[in-house]
Amino acid sequence: MKPMTDDEFGALFEQHKNAVYQFAWRMTNSPAVAEDIAQDTFLTLWRGEAEWDRSRGSVRALLLGIARHLAWKRWRRDQRWSSLDDETFVATYLSGEFCGAEEAVSKAIAALPPLQREALILATYEGLSLQETADALAVEVGTVKARLHRGRENLKRMLAPYKPGHVRSAKEYGTAK
Amino acid sequence: MEPLSDRELDELLTRWKAPAAPEALQKRVRQEQRGSWWKWLLTGSIRVPVPLTLAIAALLIGLFVMVTERGPRGHVHVRPETTTAGFQPVKRLEPRIIRSSYEGNY
Repeated sequence: MKPMTDDEFGALFEQHKNAVYQFAWRMTNSPAVAEDIAQDTFLTLWRGEAEWDRSRGSVRALLLGIARHLAWKRWRRDQRWSSLDDETFVATYLSGEFCGAEEAVSKAIAALPPLQREALILATYEGLSLQETADALAVEVGTVKARLHRGRENLKRMLAPYKPGHVRSAKEYGTAK
Repeated sequence: MEPLSDRELDELLTRWKAPAAPEALQKRVRQEQRGSWWKWLLTGSIRVPVPLTLAIAALLIGLFVMVTERGPRGHVHVRPETTTAGFQPVKRLEPRIIRSSYEGNY
């Protein structure tokens, strides 16, 4: 593979820094960890440690795939294996203090199993196609579809108190559930 | 409680905004990018094909042998050979006692 020039790397960084950082931020809910992951993602690309075939797949999907891999490494290091199972998880609506819609979405997505969460973030917030999401996650398109479906169904239940017209009753509810 | 519809969920998901990448990120990446060469010199590794490694090793061994067999100035050092060819035993032994002048005074 032809080595990347400094200018090429600078252009890629400018173009994709927000996507990589925001993906890591949404996955980890931590600005500091997101910054570390984003930095390591770009350095992995710079050092040529990631196979990038320019004719196949977008560089955006590649970078998000690297960021996802680094986030998983952190999870493994922290031994957060318990919430991996994405098929058996069935959410009820959000518990705790009733909060604003933005915070509620953040909490609901954080409560999803990681496999559903990463598929949903890549497809919904990073604007990747199903094929690009599958490339980034190194799975089949069918698997992405299934995870997205389960994730969205869980979110619909969790965020039910925020349904238009139900907001007042949810506020009156004080604590959802 | 009735779950959200797809449209309602999509509308709600757009409310969650992520911050842009901080300015410090570019600085950190640039620093690491520039520093990566000297770091590589300390901790990096390279992949060398086995045939090339063997050829280099053979060349180095050959050079070492050549250098150690030569003298300090590059000349080949030849030791004089000592042989027993032409050696003959003494045919007639004639011992002669030589006295010192000091002994003759007695």
